[in-house]
Amino acid sequence: MGIGYAAIAIKAGMTPLETISMSFLVYAGAGQIIAASMVLSGATAMAIILTNFVVNLRYFVMSTCVLNKIEDSNTPLNILAAHVTVDESFAMFSLSEDSSIWTYLGIAITAWLSWCLGAGIGVVLLDLLPVIVTNSFNISLYALFVAILTPAVKESRQIALLVLVTAVLNIVLSQFLGNWSLIVSTLVGAAIGMYIVDDEYLLSGDA
Amino acid sequence: MDYMALVILGCAVVTFIPRLIPALFIDKLDFPPKVEKFLNLIPYTALAALICPGVLTVDNQLWYIGLIGAIVAAALAWKKVPLGAIVILTVVILIAVYSIVPFF
Repeated sequence: MGIGYAAIAIKAGMTPLETISMSFLVYAGAGQIIAASMVLSGATAMAIILTNFVVNLRYFVMSTCVLNKIEDSNTPLNILAAHVTVDESFAMFSLSEDSSIWTYLGIAITAWLSWCLGAGIGVVLLDLLPVIVTNSFNISLYALFVAILTPAVKESRQIALLVLVTAVLNIVLSQFLGNWSLIVSTLVGAAIGMYIVDDEYLLSGDA
Repeated sequence: MDYMALVILGCAVVTFIPRLIPALFIDKLDFPPKVEKFLNLIPYTALAALICPGVLTVDNQLWYIGLIGAIVAAALAWKKVPLGAIVILTVVILIAVYSIVPFF
């Protein structure tokens, strides 16, 4: 939902056009919210761009995973697929059994356009929505992540253990590393997983 | 260049480059099995790290709001409720939780 982002962007003094074009061109959930908050607090353009680079570096990892799994694609389609890779599209595709490029583009472009649409709706409706409703929409992304992860956790104790270890690791590291902690925890977690998860429990990309 | 235009275009470029690099090189790479396994583990660890501790900041004042949402979503997924329904039901249940919070 782009509504929460739009709320901060408008508060920061961004015009509706700037708010929506950022959703279209940057397309990064947390990155955009952080950028808009930094505009609000009067940060320099350079500081905002640098922070966005760090926060969005995780897309390198996600894009690598997605593109490694995709079948029957070519470079122009891969470039489009790369731009629409965010947490949601990566999560939904990488734990699904279908690996066609068209399935991925279907999921990811729908998510991209609804993110832009959400920003548009937010710009128009913002004053009308009570805080309780916008906060409740904030949970939707997490509900999606939990819903995608739960079947794998239910299926395998090894995956469940790995998820628990990574969650605790990220809670601890986020106290020290700030924006870097997400990508560090993801990679360190996967390295730990090499030892605690047997191959048979993994949905493999191209087995 | 105007401040906002610089912020938007700058963020667009630094966000696109990390996404783009794998798209340009992935066809030429054939990863060994160990790297494949590492890449196949990343969805699980990335989701774990995205959820914790971020879910506790859904509401800046009431940390347990996000926790309730996560438990509801997990319980629905455990019962094999479809993905879209889980998201909608979790949002609806949270709105309901908010309407009873003031009574405690």
